[in-house]
Amino acid sequence: MTPELTINAGHNATGPVLALVGDLDHATAPQLRTAVTDTALTPGQILTLDLSAVAFCDSSGITALIAAHRRALAQEADLVLADVPARVLRILRILGLDQVLRLAGQ
Amino acid sequence: MCGTADGEHERETGHDSVEEAERAQFSALLEDSAEDLYEHAPCGYLSTMLDGQIAKVNTTLLDWLGYTRDQLVGRRRFADLLTVGGKLYHETHFAPLLAMQGHLSGIALELRAADGSRLPVLVTSTVKTGSDGQPLLIRTTLFDARDRRAYEQELLRARKSAEQAQSQAETAHQEAETERARLQQVVAILQKSLLPPQLPQVPGLDAASYYHPASVDEIGGDFYDLFALAGGRWGFFLGDVCGKGPEAASATSLIRYTLRAAFLADSDPVQALATVHAALHERYAGEDPRYCTAIAGTLTPRPDGIAVTLAGGGHPSALLLRADGTAEFLPTPGGTLVGILPRPHFSTAHTLLGPGDTMLLYTDGLTEARTQAGPRYSEEDLHTFAAALAPAGAAATINALQGLLESFGAGLDDDTALLALGVPAANTIEGAAG
Repeated sequence: MTPELTINAGHNATGPVLALVGDLDHATAPQLRTAVTDTALTPGQILTLDLSAVAFCDSSGITALIAAHRRALAQEADLVLADVPARVLRILRILGLDQVLRLAGQ
Repeated sequence: MCGTADGEHERETGHDSVEEAERAQFSALLEDSAEDLYEHAPCGYLSTMLDGQIAKVNTTLLDWLGYTRDQLVGRRRFADLLTVGGKLYHETHFAPLLAMQGHLSGIALELRAADGSRLPVLVTSTVKTGSDGQPLLIRTTLFDARDRRAYEQELLRARKSAEQAQSQAETAHQEAETERARLQQVVAILQKSLLPPQLPQVPGLDAASYYHPASVDEIGGDFYDLFALAGGRWGFFLGDVCGKGPEAASATSLIRYTLRAAFLADSDPVQALATVHAALHERYAGEDPRYCTAIAGTLTPRPDGIAVTLAGGGHPSALLLRADGTAEFLPTPGGTLVGILPRPHFSTAHTLLGPGDTMLLYTDGLTEARTQAGPRYSEEDLHTFAAALAPAGAAATINALQGLLESFGAGLDDDTALLALGVPAANTIEGAAG
């Protein structure tokens, strides 16, 4: 089976960037968790998750985003969700996560 | 000259003998010798009198059986060459049919050789008649069917083992089906334990609910309840635990009983959600964080209807279907999901349900369903649906939404819980009172 989520790792001025392409759901959320765990973060850096190419996000995907946020805070770093698509943004708003997670590029 | 002449003669003679040899060779190739063909044909030939007495037999058949010609001709009958089973068949079927039809072909029989071994053959017989049409004798050809028999036995063996495999597969399938039915029964019982068996009768309130499980094999994480509080008030909640299966069901159970207990201790919905948050946070602190979204609230009867106070924790907004035919969301802005964030926030909203007003609570199975047209059903779509439906009582609202859910068909891929709470329209109350 072809993976329904591809994660491309990169870097920008503020820290590491993970660009997600595909569906973030029960089947693929563990991939994001692993990718976040494998990403080195130093205090003060920002881990950017580029969600511009995420087509679908379910409750497991949300859990993985929250876990990424927890991990960033534990490293004294921060997490930013970049270019969140309208569909995912709507879910984040319903869950109240738009106040908890930093969003950029809206 | 002479010498030459002699030489020529000799050459001519030599020429003749070469031609003869070639002719003989050619003749052999053409099977000109009928006798040789009869004796050494690749099949057995047998001629018998009408009573079965063997009159003539070829070498091929004698070799197969290990008899000499003298042992058979004039001494034995065709039936004597058969096995016991073959003899019976010959007497009851073969001979009568042959007498009747004058011809029989491709009959499988077994011969018994001189050394007692069996030789499967295919037998074809024809009755030779005289010019007056009277039967004279029986001509029979026999084909060696050992290879064919071996092939058939192989086929039989293969068929037997295939049948055995199939029967084993069927048994396994039946066991799996039984196991699956048992599992589904367990799932259904557990699912029921997470929902109220039936909604209580609340004076001055119509309540209706519906639960659509996405799967009969997995327990869903949606829950709701309606229950009495002190002082004539009522508590209610509806929510959705992330994930499915036993872990989600376990969390659902924890949440449901914590919410009820919290409401009994303090009927403030925000406090109830905070208590659930603390319970989830404490229970699922490790690798497998669990959260839920929920709306919890209280109902307080008043002379002009029922006052609603509710708190939202990251849950889709309640929808109000007003008596005047309008529909509006009742948002709880800023409410966050329950159980996973370090500092959750739960906000409240208030409204009054007057006669003919209905409040609908739902889980995101409804607003995330894939529609037949393609895009997922949204809050906007739901609002439009509700506005067209209003005014509608609790039961009518649930009925209409159940129809909507059914219209999604396979697009409804998540559990969906619906709870409608409505104040009966004024004329209904008067009718009930009168």
